[in-house]
Amino acid sequence: MVDFLQMILSGIAVGSSYALMGLGMVLIYKASEVPNFVQGEMALLPVFVAYLLLESYGLPSYIAFPATLIFAMLLGCFLEFAILRRAKEPNVLGLIIITIGLEMMLIGIVSWKFGADQRAMPFPISSYDSIVIGDIFISTLDMLTLVAALIIMLILFLFFRYSKIGVAMKATQQNETAARLMGIKTNRLRMVTWGISSVVGCVAGLLVAPVLVEPYMMWDPMLKGFAGAVVGGMTSLPGAVFGAYIVGIVEQLFGGYVSIEFKSVVAFVVIVLVLCIRPSGLFARHYVKKV
Amino acid sequence: MKNKSLWVIVAIAAIVFGLTFTAMAEEGVTDTEIHIGQWGPQTGPAAPWGAVARGTDAYFKMLNAEGGIHGRKLVHHYFDDGYNPAKTKAGVKQLQEDIGMFAWVSGVGTAPGLAVKDYLMKRKIPWLSPSTGSTHWVDPPQKYLFTIYPMYSGDAQVLVRYAVEEMGKKHVAIVYQNDDYGKAGLVGARKQMTKEGMKLAVELPLNLADKDMKPYIMALRKAKADTVLMFVTPGHVARLIGTGKAMKFDPQWMTTTTCADVPLMMYITKGLYAGTIMASFGMMDPAKVGIGNVEDVNHPTLPLMKKYKKDAFGKYAAKDERWGLTFCAGIAYAEPFVEGLRRAGRNLTRERLVKAMEGIQNFQGIMGKVNYKPFNPNSPLCRLGQREVFLAQATKDAKYKVLTDWIQTDYINYK
Repeated sequence: MVDFLQMILSGIAVGSSYALMGLGMVLIYKASEVPNFVQGEMALLPVFVAYLLLESYGLPSYIAFPATLIFAMLLGCFLEFAILRRAKEPNVLGLIIITIGLEMMLIGIVSWKFGADQRAMPFPISSYDSIVIGDIFISTLDMLTLVAALIIMLILFLFFRYSKIGVAMKATQQNETAARLMGIKTNRLRMVTWGISSVVGCVAGLLVAPVLVEPYMMWDPMLKGFAGAVVGGMTSLPGAVFGAYIVGIVEQLFGGYVSIEFKSVVAFVVIVLVLCIRPSGLFARHYVKKV
Repeated sequence: MKNKSLWVIVAIAAIVFGLTFTAMAEEGVTDTEIHIGQWGPQTGPAAPWGAVARGTDAYFKMLNAEGGIHGRKLVHHYFDDGYNPAKTKAGVKQLQEDIGMFAWVSGVGTAPGLAVKDYLMKRKIPWLSPSTGSTHWVDPPQKYLFTIYPMYSGDAQVLVRYAVEEMGKKHVAIVYQNDDYGKAGLVGARKQMTKEGMKLAVELPLNLADKDMKPYIMALRKAKADTVLMFVTPGHVARLIGTGKAMKFDPQWMTTTTCADVPLMMYITKGLYAGTIMASFGMMDPAKVGIGNVEDVNHPTLPLMKKYKKDAFGKYAAKDERWGLTFCAGIAYAEPFVEGLRRAGRNLTRERLVKAMEGIQNFQGIMGKVNYKPFNPNSPLCRLGQREVFLAQATKDAKYKVLTDWIQTDYINYK
């Protein structure tokens, strides 16, 4: 029983970073209707900027981290404004290829500028301390990730429900032409959505980084976050979070009870199963074929 | 008219013989150059081992500055394969078929090496000192393949023997990378445990893409492991030890030569690597405890090591390169090859190089002594240049304490 509870808790802990990445992907999917494969690298580059600010410039973390989040916001806006928006008559496949190209480009920039060596990121809390509840452990970093994920979910919920920009974003996502006719600057809102998505991903990156900083560190969270988002339905923010936690927990249970060797691929088995049973994902309200 | 005809005949003869000589010349060798290939990860999960190729490169540049080998410069072509066998194969074929390498040196990674072994051997292209300790290189032995890296299975044997016989450990477990590198360690550990009349507490395969180590720590804790062998990448060692610390699991961690760069390991584990016991094959500092005959890479005293630090690293390494075990290993792996080139003489062919390599006995550069024998298809040892390792333990000040003298490892055929 202790093992089972530990696996569930570990799954929730791991699922939190997947959830943040999944949220970022869903935000962009809703805005641009493209699975954003550059999501991981939109977090990676800011993480290396944070590393630079902390290690090379010696800035304290209370300055370096907010500065990093601002950089992430600008990066997301820049990518949408300078590259995605310039795509002429884009179809989904073309946009996917663009995001994959951007991913390669950003990872290349990071590898060129910072090298491929693994690094240790200074962080205000130790990534190796833990909280013990009976015989169950959760690391303080995992706890922080969990809390951060919950807070960001709450902020996004409030933002889309009550803020003017949030409502305008929702309107744009639902019917762009109508939104534009109502005077909403849809291009600008899409750019801001990319910025917000980049910030959410960056938070995940900063919480993954204390363990090890390396150019390929965001691949795993990005793929698992994508898996979670697909399970949840790609258009549902709570669905992405729920899906990410499902992926995290199933991974842990599979690793513990079935096969540790195939633990990392089980997320994709979950995707296949969900898509076979419910093609639009668990949380999508309805499936609409766009013509 | 006669004179003219004579000149034409002489010119034709010169062209014909010239072409003939060119055709007879060895691939990758010109009057002034020897082209040598190498692969290694500069990006990806195994990037910390990228310094191997950069070390070799600096070493060759140093030799070129000193006049090269028999008047020829060593032209080093190395590429980033990201520890991805598909990229290794594509890169090797491209360099071999577009430019033409005389030989290949080092090459990090068992799986990447396996992807090109048959390609190189079928074409009788020498490959010297794979930077990996797999039995595949010597079993069956290949005429054109010479190794220097002690077998991982031997590392595992020595580590298990030390854990059981010297430390009295009862529950030895292993986490191994789910490829040939990790499986070699698994076989060595199993064999030694059988010798000790015991069984491994648990055997856990780990895929390169796995980043979450919690299930591993849970499985190790469940098996009550008091010692854990890690045959994985440096990054995974950091994740395993770190997750273990967070989950209050504190066994005796042990690892292999690939994760023995103590300053690097201490840095990426934020100091948690202290206390870890590792197998190694050279370049540490036993002088303080009087065991062995190897060298402290950071405080060189041997003239050869001092020279490498000053003339290879000092002059040709990139500005942010670190002088460490991995960089030095890149030099060390190429030393027997350079010795072979020297012995082969000015009239360099692949056959002459092989003959020269086979004559190397008790050769010592900055690693242990290297010996090869004439080719015998039934004896892996004819191509296994070095079989000795020793054990050391990382200390809190990012140094190490040597625990044993050189230990000759058994050769295990595990295929």
